[in-house]
Amino acid sequence: MSNPFGKTTTPWDNTGERLLAAAAVKIELPPSQHALLADRKATIEKHLEREGSPMQGLIRLFYQQGSVAIGATIRAKFRFEGFDIDIIVELMVSGMTPCEVLDLLYEAVRGEKGSRYYDMTTRQSRCVTITYADGMHIDLSPSVLLDAADPRRSHIFHSKLEEPRSNDTTVLTNSFAFVEDYNARCPVDKTFQEEYSKLVTASDRGWDWIIADADTVAVPAHSTIVGGKSAVTVALQLLKRNRNIRWSARKRRMPASIMFSCLSLEVAAPGRTIGENLKVIATYILDRLVVAKLSRTLLHVENPCCAGDIFTDRWPENQSAQDLLIADLQLFLQQLAVLMSNQSSLAQRVKVLKEMFGENVGQSVVDEFGDELGGMIQSGLHGFGATGVLLGAPAAAIAKPAIPPSTFYGKRWAKR
Amino acid sequence: MKSLQEQVRTMQRDWPQFSPSLGLGPASVVWFGDLRGLDRHFHISVEYGLPMRGRTDLYRFMPVVRVLRPSMVPNFEAADEAPLPHMYFEGPDIRLSPLCLFDPKANQWDGSMFISRTTIGWASRWLASYEFWEATGKWVGGGRHDEPDQTKEAQHAA
Repeated sequence: MSNPFGKTTTPWDNTGERLLAAAAVKIELPPSQHALLADRKATIEKHLEREGSPMQGLIRLFYQQGSVAIGATIRAKFRFEGFDIDIIVELMVSGMTPCEVLDLLYEAVRGEKGSRYYDMTTRQSRCVTITYADGMHIDLSPSVLLDAADPRRSHIFHSKLEEPRSNDTTVLTNSFAFVEDYNARCPVDKTFQEEYSKLVTASDRGWDWIIADADTVAVPAHSTIVGGKSAVTVALQLLKRNRNIRWSARKRRMPASIMFSCLSLEVAAPGRTIGENLKVIATYILDRLVVAKLSRTLLHVENPCCAGDIFTDRWPENQSAQDLLIADLQLFLQQLAVLMSNQSSLAQRVKVLKEMFGENVGQSVVDEFGDELGGMIQSGLHGFGATGVLLGAPAAAIAKPAIPPSTFYGKRWAKR
Repeated sequence: MKSLQEQVRTMQRDWPQFSPSLGLGPASVVWFGDLRGLDRHFHISVEYGLPMRGRTDLYRFMPVVRVLRPSMVPNFEAADEAPLPHMYFEGPDIRLSPLCLFDPKANQWDGSMFISRTTIGWASRWLASYEFWEATGKWVGGGRHDEPDQTKEAQHAA
């Protein structure tokens, strides 16, 4: 390199990438909340197997599915909404109707009057939900294993209380296999993971109510610990955040997270940045939707590890729902282009960042960016790219400024 | 005191995207080239001339940097540094005013220094600060004004 000041130090020395990484950290489930989740999961499991529980001796396995299992859980758009955790309660029962199974789980979780979960438990059509005062929701879905030779290929149960019992049914699922497949195939870039985990850990202010013995159960370790965070998963989290923002005002069922996960995995490849992943994934999902629209069908996504486990069984329910996501993704790609373009001003980037991921996240990212930038400029502790761009670096990594700091000067503007 | 040839040679080595031309007066040079603070390219000029008796042009006392394009965007409502930050305001178009990149009273620059090892880096930092200011109205680059008790060096350092 002809420039003696050039030094590439992080995967996000491009401003767009830097802003995306900062936004992802803002919506990431922090290590402290992750530990809390692990503790709550263990407590529920013990509660269900307590002496005298209707489920005592009936639980074969208790495992997480969905976002937590692939490290893609995000904070809710609004603080009071908390975040959702999905857990499968695999039961050793037979001959029970869907309604009976869901009722049994509901009673076992709820317990006697005065029990800790008594007033926090709700029976849903496919699961039992525990809602905590801090906003966290844990969904417990009962299941039964179909074939011991095909681990975790299961039925979950559907029984909507306000509908006739004749509508009750079972639904094929193998989320366990999908999670294993996702975690095995999702590419991990070591440099990216290390830098990203630093950002996440630094942003975690910790909660007072973390329980010390939270590691007694097998919630997957947080991505900052296991070294497994993928740029694909970070992009997936940002895409889900955008979906939540777009759909929050629509008051209708939104596209399933697992559908996004599955389609992301289909185009996952190593070596891409967050921005590149977002472009590839969003373009791919858009293409799939447009193909479905042109053939006058609805998007169909199926678990690659379990034929018949349909990830689009409840969304899109019709063409209008499908059209909404098409329009959302078209807008998302336009905004992403502005965010990533070196011709965009920071003002343009900030505007689209807020539109894509929310005003609060966007403003928080910009404020932190300003602090970081100001620190770099005033200390001089940063590298320079070949054409002058300031490159971020941990202060400790640069002992001496390549170019000494200066004091910007001048007279104030006087009205004339 | 560095000669103009030394300045040109060092600029060519450190920042080859800058092209030198003869300056407006004798013993002076002007470079044109693209520079970035964040990602956006700004086309700037850097004028510099050796001190000459009887000549009072600013570029004979310090390198004079101007942003030619894209044009600076004045903001008279900005929380900090309205309408444009840290410039030696000149008419008729204040957007072409020289940037105030260092404190002349603190001896941060003199002719013994290389422009490529001082001015260009400062200009890059100024541009990065400017981009943030343009987006938010806040100036994070620190600095001070030619007024008593206006030091802002501690700003954003915490």
